[in-house]
Amino acid sequence: MFDKILIANRGEIALRVIRTCRKLGVGTVAVYSDVDFRSPHVREADEAVYLGPAPASQSYLVKEKIIEATLSRNCQAIHPGYGFLSENAEFARLATNAGIVFIGPPAEAIATLGDKMASKALALRVGVPVVPGHHEPLSDLEEARSVAEQIGYPLLLKPAAGGGGRGMRIVNDAEELPTALVACQDETRKSFADDRIFIERFVARPRHIEIQIIADQHGNVLFLGERECSVQRRYQKVIEECPSVSLDDGLRQEMGQIACTLSREAGYTNAGTVEFILDEDRRFYFLEMNTRLQVEHTVTEWVTGVDLVELQLRVANGESLPLKQKDVRLQGWAIEARICAEDPSRDFFPTTGMITRYALPKGRNIRVDDGVAAGSVITIHYDSLLAKVIAYGENREQARESLIQALNGYHIAGITTNIDFANSIVAHPAFVEGDLSTLFIEEYFEDGIPKEPPLREHLHYMVLAVTTIYHFRQSLVRDSLKPMATQVGGKPVARAYYDYVIQVSDGVFHARVEGTGDPQKWRMRVDGTEYEVVTPPFEFYRRRLKLKINGRYHMFRARYQEHHIQAAYCGIVRTFEIYAPREWELAAHMPPLKKKAEENVLRCPMPGLVVAVNVEEGSYVRRGQELVRIESMKMESAVAAPREGLVGKVSASPGKTVETGDPLLEFAEPSCGG
Amino acid sequence: MTTSTTQGSEPSSKSPLDDLERRRAEAQLGGGETRIARQHEKGKLTARERLDLLLDKGSFQELGAFVRHQVKGFGLENNRPYGDGVVTGFGTIDGRLMYVFSQDFTVFGGSLGLAHAEKIVKVMQLALENGAPIIGLNDSGGARIQEGVASLGGYADIFLQNTLASGVVPQISAVMGPCAGGAVYSPAITDFVFMVKNTSYMFVTGPNVVKTVTNEVVTQEELGGADTHASKSGVAHLATANEADCLLKIRELLSYLPSNCEDPAPLAQTGDPIDRADSELNSIVPENPNKPYDIHDVIERVVDDGKFFEIHPDYAANIVVGFARLGGRSVGIVANQPAVLAGVLDIDASVKGARFVRFCDAFNIPLVVFEDVPGFLPGTDQEWRGIIRHGAKLLYAFCEATVPKMTVITRKAYGGAYDVMNSKHIRGDLNLAWPTAEIAVMGPKGAVEIIYKRQIADADDPAATEERFIEQYREKFANPYIAAERGYVDDVIKPSETRRVLIRGLEMLRNKVASNPRKKHGNVPL
Repeated sequence: MFDKILIANRGEIALRVIRTCRKLGVGTVAVYSDVDFRSPHVREADEAVYLGPAPASQSYLVKEKIIEATLSRNCQAIHPGYGFLSENAEFARLATNAGIVFIGPPAEAIATLGDKMASKALALRVGVPVVPGHHEPLSDLEEARSVAEQIGYPLLLKPAAGGGGRGMRIVNDAEELPTALVACQDETRKSFADDRIFIERFVARPRHIEIQIIADQHGNVLFLGERECSVQRRYQKVIEECPSVSLDDGLRQEMGQIACTLSREAGYTNAGTVEFILDEDRRFYFLEMNTRLQVEHTVTEWVTGVDLVELQLRVANGESLPLKQKDVRLQGWAIEARICAEDPSRDFFPTTGMITRYALPKGRNIRVDDGVAAGSVITIHYDSLLAKVIAYGENREQARESLIQALNGYHIAGITTNIDFANSIVAHPAFVEGDLSTLFIEEYFEDGIPKEPPLREHLHYMVLAVTTIYHFRQSLVRDSLKPMATQVGGKPVARAYYDYVIQVSDGVFHARVEGTGDPQKWRMRVDGTEYEVVTPPFEFYRRRLKLKINGRYHMFRARYQEHHIQAAYCGIVRTFEIYAPREWELAAHMPPLKKKAEENVLRCPMPGLVVAVNVEEGSYVRRGQELVRIESMKMESAVAAPREGLVGKVSASPGKTVETGDPLLEFAEPSCGG
Repeated sequence: MTTSTTQGSEPSSKSPLDDLERRRAEAQLGGGETRIARQHEKGKLTARERLDLLLDKGSFQELGAFVRHQVKGFGLENNRPYGDGVVTGFGTIDGRLMYVFSQDFTVFGGSLGLAHAEKIVKVMQLALENGAPIIGLNDSGGARIQEGVASLGGYADIFLQNTLASGVVPQISAVMGPCAGGAVYSPAITDFVFMVKNTSYMFVTGPNVVKTVTNEVVTQEELGGADTHASKSGVAHLATANEADCLLKIRELLSYLPSNCEDPAPLAQTGDPIDRADSELNSIVPENPNKPYDIHDVIERVVDDGKFFEIHPDYAANIVVGFARLGGRSVGIVANQPAVLAGVLDIDASVKGARFVRFCDAFNIPLVVFEDVPGFLPGTDQEWRGIIRHGAKLLYAFCEATVPKMTVITRKAYGGAYDVMNSKHIRGDLNLAWPTAEIAVMGPKGAVEIIYKRQIADADDPAATEERFIEQYREKFANPYIAAERGYVDDVIKPSETRRVLIRGLEMLRNKVASNPRKKHGNVPL
């Protein structure tokens, strides 16, 4: 085994690699940029090497610096993690030439499989099914038209370079083709200096199924089951699970064998993932191969009992795989949620800031791979992935429930994250049914909120949580002030029960709190339904609450917002207003707050770099039209017009760095609508 | 005006008890059902409903329900409703005695006449003599013009009472409707002014007069609405969402306050351990001194249950003030806010801080200061408007205060602002610093530019030389230990220990007796 390796990455994946290295007695060297010098991955590694300024292009992507660091620290190998240089054939070649082991496939295999067209050609050659399409780059619009006629609409335009769905466009009919093609070419040219586009049939409601393979240098190739990663937003995975509800053992074997054949033919070694889409008739098509460890490798690890990073190191070290295909068994079920710094209510725009509170969920069936801590600063420079929460169960339902509990107890403050969004996916009835497709979020969510109202039962639990907090605090203050009391208004008698009216956006609830003599046990009622509630000693400062309701534990996040209480549970986030009955009677006269007049300025929804401005002063724009493109955390996002109107002064310009709230442009005349 | 309810003096054919019932019912109804409905339509409650929300159930005892004006002329002699447009009396909040007055907009538009003013003055005098807070709910069209100078006199009587009560009992004003002209000066003298969004406004002269005099067109809301006063002028300490919100917040505020200047600050039980350590506090202050962080994150981690009742949240946000509890004891928090204007002290921040410090000192509420201040805001705007005079208010307030005073320096403590923010030199009782503290006359860059001006200019590579000097200076002075050597800092503590040390400090200072020289009163720089 290696004595020491360099980990050319940051965040959770760097920590993940360190963990296995420690287990195997392998020394670790971390690398870091200016903004990462007190990041957990630097603290946990045995040594650390400074690379340069924050932008990845001046630090984590500078091949020479990393090779130099590897050599100067006497490391025998480099683990690239995912992202950054992990699928960069030239980097793999540089490393090999410098006498360093690149923990991944050979450079040639990366080159072949990394190019979508080359990999598709290979797939066709070895008989792997691919989506009907044209496997040569399009030369012009004329060709695109005729190819489109052959394949049939709807179809998909895909750039040859890049990944993660970047630049892809769906074309519904011939009329849309010209504009879509130009836009697609523009974007991929800007991002990758490569405007090759190819075209294929668009598969409706596809599932994303991928096969994990591992290959050694002695010709052994195994597949380690599948993962279903259908739940995606902006073409990026959110929830992943192993196994998939849509595969039976026959199909699993078939897809696994094909993945192995493809890897073998490509001369592939190390861990890799062959991605397929599965249509509603259970036909599968090859999508692409990822020549690295995947973010979601964890679910495979839990269900197969294999340490994939360990296998990567062994294979790279020239060892034979320690197991055979027949040893690979899938046991139980694992589901992973990706926790990202992003705002689901604003089209998943990346968010930045400092993490001010950080509390992890714990439990026997919970695994958290994270790369942040309280005090971590999230910048625009890197991927928005903060952590992964993985839950295990004997079956899917158990795993799902564990994941919900884990996400209920996961507390990150200071930045907006998708924790509650991810939770509302896992709690969604369609997810429970296993009715998944890559359109899941589009079908069942709007602005990051489920289209279906929350379950009554869940709201009841939340009402119980906020009512106990409110009641307990009120009583404490009232009791404390008793020594200062004046005997007017009658003798205060201890009441048998207290009634409250709770207002929330979903409606009004009537709750009753009744003591039992045991100060931690309560008999409670919400709209006539009785509950037994056991509270722990209250610890409001934690902003988390664990309640035992009718014998089962539930975790809530809760915090005071002035005298209202905001709570989160199962992805439902609400502010509860709690009133005594007479207060409620009078509060009913209160008008809803007026909305502020619409601003005349379009403000930047996220920090980043302006890459394109599509309008100028005097342009007339419609609501929803794309005005400005901003790049942040490796993603380009469009800022759309919030309303119709004439554009006034434009302050955004390409290449300019912008912060959240910075004005991008102004509208010429004030808005008339509120 | 419903005329039937205004003549209550015809002889009754019923028993005296029935007669009383009838009169009471009439008094209860104020301006009548129609006007009450109109009040509700506007999202407003009646004077009595407001008291219902404010006070403990059944605790209100009315005084002067049968008072009516004695005015002749303008037809007023035929219109003499009970109560004269204001409900006054006493009751309890969380069991504690409070005096209240609540103007009734349904009667004469809540306008203030002599009888109305006398009722208010009466409860204010009672509050003062009996050492209990006075809460005024304002909803009044202004002076009752028909009563002429008597009405103006009535206002002055109230202003005088407000001034006499100042510093003796807490005075809270809620503005729940119009409050214009001279009427604004009663709330202005009180300790806290809460306004209701969209339904209340305060101004000396209304939009119509403004337009005539200055040609400026402005709405009531813009000129003197809750948001305006809570963010621009600082006249309002809180802008509340609606009347219920406003009244419940007043209840909450009072739970932090003693009833008068003789009583100690209230003590409330808490489940929050007094020795709770919070390791996450150790990483909240960014290593880069120019990077902001939100001081609320520090405050909410240190105080009991993370509960902080902020005063003036939207005004001069570069300083944060408000009430919280530490080990159950009410404390007043004053904190620089690095997230807004880098926490610099400017005119508004100084005045906001000074007023709050003086309130706490007047009512025996210990002060806890979190300090991260780069200095006073430079520039002609500030200098010409008198940052010297206004900055002096904050300095004066801290110097004068004799309550327990504790300071935690979290990062920067530069220049004169270091002295001002409750330094040891001005009678700070317990001055603590985090290891990240930098206590110096100015920041490294500024200091180096002055001290090494010549050396830098003469150097072959001025930039590198300056950088080297800055580094040296930072190493030497940008830490808390030089101040600690001199005893200006009592201890350097880990951020995680802050809660425990502050609570111990409060206990240590529990019986603190300190006084100022005998005088008629000091002359705070106004």
